[in-house]
Amino acid sequence: MNKHALLAMLAACAMLPAAAADMNKVLRVAMNAAETGFDPAKVSDLYSSAINENIYDSLVSYDYLARPAKLVANTSSALPTVSVDGRVYTFKLKPGIYFADDAAFKGKKRELTAADYAYSIKRHLDPTVRSPWSFLVDGRFIGTDELVKAAGKGALNYDTPVDGIKVLDKYTLQLTLTSTNFNFLSILAMPAFGAVAREVIEANRDNTNAHPVGTGPYLLKEWKPGSKIVLEANPGYRKVVFDSRPGNDPVDKAVVQALQGKTLPRVGRVEVAIIEEEQPLWLSFLNRQLDISGIPQAALQDALVIDPKNPLKVRLADKYARQGIQLQRQQMQEITFHFFNMQDPVVGGDSKEKIALRRAIAMAFPVSETIASIRRGQAVPMNYIVPAGVAGHNPAFRGAPKYDPAAANVLLDRFGYRIGADGYRTRPDGKPLAIELACGTSALDKQWNEYWQQAFDKLKIRLSFKQGKWNELSKANHQGKLQMWGMAWGADYPDGENFMQLLYSKNAGDSNAADFKNADYDRLFEASLKLPDGPERNKLYDAMNKIAVVQQPWIYGDIRVRSTLAQPYVKGLKLHPLLNTSWRYLDLQK
Amino acid sequence: MLAFIIRRVGQMVPTLFGVMLLLFVLFNWVGGDPSYILAGKNLSPEALANIRHQLGLDLPLPQQFLLFVKQVLTLDFGVSWSTQQPVSSILHSRIGPSLLLTGSILLLGTVLAVVIAALVAYLRGSLTDRLVTLISTCAMSISGLVYIIAGQYWLAHKAGLFPIMGWSDRVTENLLYYLPLPLLLGVIVGLAPDIRFYRSCFVEEMSHDYVRTARAKGLAEPVIMLKHVLRNAMIPVVTSLMMSLPYLMMGAMLLETFFGIPGMGKEVVMAVDRSDFPVIKAITIYIALATMLFNLLADIVYKLIDPRVQLS
Amino acid sequence: MSTPSSLPPLTAANPSHNSLARLGWRRLRRDRLGFAALCIVGVYLLLALGAWSGLLARHWQDEVAKPFAPPTLFVGVGPQHVELNAADIDAASQRSRAAAAGDSSAATGLAASEDPLAADMAAAQQQAAQYRSAEAPKADSLPLGADQRGRDVLQKVLQGTATSLLVGLSGALLALAIGTVLGAISGYFGGLLDDLLLWGYSVFTSVPDMLLLLAFAAVSGRGIGTVVLVMAFTSWTGSYRLMRAEFLKHKSREYVRAADAIGASHSRRMFHHILPNVSHLLLVQFSMLTVALIKYEAILSFLGFGVGVTQVSLGAMLAEAPAELLQGYWWQMLTVTVVMSLLVTAFALLTDSLRDALDPKVK
Repeated sequence: MNKHALLAMLAACAMLPAAAADMNKVLRVAMNAAETGFDPAKVSDLYSSAINENIYDSLVSYDYLARPAKLVANTSSALPTVSVDGRVYTFKLKPGIYFADDAAFKGKKRELTAADYAYSIKRHLDPTVRSPWSFLVDGRFIGTDELVKAAGKGALNYDTPVDGIKVLDKYTLQLTLTSTNFNFLSILAMPAFGAVAREVIEANRDNTNAHPVGTGPYLLKEWKPGSKIVLEANPGYRKVVFDSRPGNDPVDKAVVQALQGKTLPRVGRVEVAIIEEEQPLWLSFLNRQLDISGIPQAALQDALVIDPKNPLKVRLADKYARQGIQLQRQQMQEITFHFFNMQDPVVGGDSKEKIALRRAIAMAFPVSETIASIRRGQAVPMNYIVPAGVAGHNPAFRGAPKYDPAAANVLLDRFGYRIGADGYRTRPDGKPLAIELACGTSALDKQWNEYWQQAFDKLKIRLSFKQGKWNELSKANHQGKLQMWGMAWGADYPDGENFMQLLYSKNAGDSNAADFKNADYDRLFEASLKLPDGPERNKLYDAMNKIAVVQQPWIYGDIRVRSTLAQPYVKGLKLHPLLNTSWRYLDLQK
Repeated sequence: MLAFIIRRVGQMVPTLFGVMLLLFVLFNWVGGDPSYILAGKNLSPEALANIRHQLGLDLPLPQQFLLFVKQVLTLDFGVSWSTQQPVSSILHSRIGPSLLLTGSILLLGTVLAVVIAALVAYLRGSLTDRLVTLISTCAMSISGLVYIIAGQYWLAHKAGLFPIMGWSDRVTENLLYYLPLPLLLGVIVGLAPDIRFYRSCFVEEMSHDYVRTARAKGLAEPVIMLKHVLRNAMIPVVTSLMMSLPYLMMGAMLLETFFGIPGMGKEVVMAVDRSDFPVIKAITIYIALATMLFNLLADIVYKLIDPRVQLS
Repeated sequence: MSTPSSLPPLTAANPSHNSLARLGWRRLRRDRLGFAALCIVGVYLLLALGAWSGLLARHWQDEVAKPFAPPTLFVGVGPQHVELNAADIDAASQRSRAAAAGDSSAATGLAASEDPLAADMAAAQQQAAQYRSAEAPKADSLPLGADQRGRDVLQKVLQGTATSLLVGLSGALLALAIGTVLGAISGYFGGLLDDLLLWGYSVFTSVPDMLLLLAFAAVSGRGIGTVVLVMAFTSWTGSYRLMRAEFLKHKSREYVRAADAIGASHSRRMFHHILPNVSHLLLVQFSMLTVALIKYEAILSFLGFGVGVTQVSLGAMLAEAPAELLQGYWWQMLTVTVVMSLLVTAFALLTDSLRDALDPKVK
């Protein structure tokens, strides 16, 4: 064999991107609700975001192993330099990152540049894109307000120079904020701010959701909406070598052992099935048709050995532990609560008797009992607006009133909610008292409703349920037609501001679903925005939490603890509080 | 015959119009507002108004209806509001699995039911007859949901005879590997009521005078059964087949959900859940067309079975 | 439209109803299986009457046992249920809060001085005794076991049967009434009226059930009434088509022509002459519809369109089955399946016998 030819071949190989992924390795996972699409500026659901995270690259991302979550550079060569006043961020991109091949590039390799990020960020402001994330960028950059105003209802002019989003050179992006924001980098780490290529978006204007082209480790191979998504390793993916440092968690050591010095991703093909029913999901995992799965509520009893005195102390049931199945657990960064419509004539208002009514209802709802029976102990009661793991949380605070339906009854008596001849209470002015609770239609909703019915029966207040689809109830709430409804809020980024804003009056009718308007709360919230995370801000958060306790716009629910199982041959798994998936780190050693 | 077909196709126009009207009224009355889903976490009035504008929901209703008419005439329903995939490509990918599943259930179920029903009707009053009737009566009294849950749990999980769920792109793999269990369960659910109903049709037909006449002529029983009874009894059989079409959708939806089959039933539920009107419109219109075609087909089949039927 | 215009003449005339009913009753009594089925259905109806009137299973919602208490005969056979309770959850969360408070300077909640309702809260706590009731001890096992909330499956299934019977019978009756009246008019009169009704029928059958279901549910809220209406409105089409075909067939038969000749009115001919001759088909249809609707209710419940939380039906119980079976609690599913299939089987057998007994052509 010709020596020169061999050398040339070797040289050529070295030039090629590191295609380390083994195309014969297929990771099979499931999601329990349907995705909507893969345009990062158009989707906001967890499931689509999970896929997008693997197709697109954000400027910054999170370290896989570090806890608490630590931001690291992703396509930028280092974390950005920030000006002294905290308003100007300068990113330097790594050169030599290419988009996956696409017809829109006309056969040429297309390099990722600073302009792509500028374009991708601006898309969230474009009225015609109707980004669900626009609230994260609205009014945030210098000069974008004018740009949006000029667009009216039409498309944004992307070529108009804007001071706040500036491309300094091919690889340098400068973002200038209107005011200091301590969460800005965490926002940029969200999959919604991954880079898209303008040519691709423009060539597929009508169905950008079905045509994702990014620079990430995977590309979309097949999409059957609502039933199946197949990802394949991106052959042109840049060389990324695993280099996360292990912490104290024993899992870290195994992850490092499996991945140290290896190029990512490891698995060539990821098959995502959408399985909404619990039975097929769980049985599929048990029959090894899935490699990783959560534990459906109904299977918790079967899968986990729970210590009744300390329900969060669990281990895997022997029959599964013997097979070598791995269990990982993580408390979610979320809160669940039921809110009152604070503008409602019956349950809203801030007079003492209204507060008493709301508090009595909160005192009659057995949160701990629902955790014991419905959640099988795999949740903790919510006591603070900011959940654990998110900056600003206060673990010592008790915000939920003590469960005491008897005292709640006395409280209602004292404020004139008398029991009438029919055995039900009336309002202080003698009018009948009836409350409507909005809810979904699933079997799980029904389990919760039984507890609500019981709570209201104990208080002798008439309760009716308004069952409906999520969007219908959301609309009704928007129009102020609901009295009570349950909600969950997950962290978009790990800062308390993302949660405290839920009761800010300027967000009423938006994320402030309770329509809560309290001048003291607003004042404290605005003051807290000017402070970084620390004792000073925590003091403000405590004061705001006390207002929420007094006014009781919410009945605090619980915070779930998620259990994830993996088959024995899955290597490299560690749950991350903010990354939706860990697919690129996984290896299969059957 | 040809004139009849042309006339019937002509009659489909008002029906289609009625379906469109009903659908349009239903959707605007109770269909839900998709903008609240598309807005995600951002529910500001501007964002909602912007979405409504883009979807054309702020147009006057008559204009929206005219657009609908145009879509039906061109059979182009645009793109899905939630996934933005062209509706045609969504339906294209859904129709195959649906046809494979419900088609095979219908085919196998009907053939089995007719054969068994004819047999027990022939043996009317015998022990076999009573036994089959009793078993199928018991079998049909159990909810389809129980069959699906128990079948998946025992046959697939415990016994390991079938995969739990799944669907492939290759027809042969589906037929041999993924389809058998849902097919089996689908046939079991549908078989018992069919047997009972067809048996009563056959028995009814056998009590007619012409059967007695045929017997008197000395024709052999099997000949009477095959040549006379079966032919006449096919009319209610075909009728019930057509009747069962709308129900198939519902039954198939459960099978699709539990066995991960990317079919039409699941798509309908998802579209309704997300207020994805273009998809709902398209599916409804296509189903309406299919139903009408099946009805026409039924009438033509009547004619072929029973030449005395006049197509007017 | 297809019109079987020249069928062979039939000898069967229109027999008197009284004699037919009496003859039917005699025949039914001779049919042992049919009579047994009649008795079973009778027992079910009695039980249902008991539940409707509040004599039976009125307290089905009471939590009388521990969650998932097993049936008495199977204590120890089922899966080991680790019982969690609210007190332990409270204690655990109190512990974690106390651990955190050690290194946090923050307060542990709202101080009394900050609470505008402090005085009332204190008073309420003192006077709460008047509202406290002693917790009844929970049973470890029940004849047919308990559900997740510790409710007696036996009581639940009694109440559920009553609801399902009510729903199935009234739904079927309503669907049949709509289908028969419209089908009779359509088939008997033909012409423009037929075209119009047929148009409505085609439109209705062409829209998927799921959409109709959602529409009705959204307009009329949830509950037994809605379930009945939804079922009737989505299942009348079968009877319509059948009845239309029958009336089309019968109206040209001799006995109807004879009735016409003696001057019987249209409605008399339709409902007095033709209807009895197709009543055996109606009965089959009624049996099938009732059976189908009791099962349909199960699917509606599964989809979230069932009865409310203060009511229970067999379908609502069945909807709880998948989650229970996954945990190994089979008793509720088994009870419902047995009760439901016995009811439906008996109903179907009874109808078979009735049909044979009432068939005017069988001498």
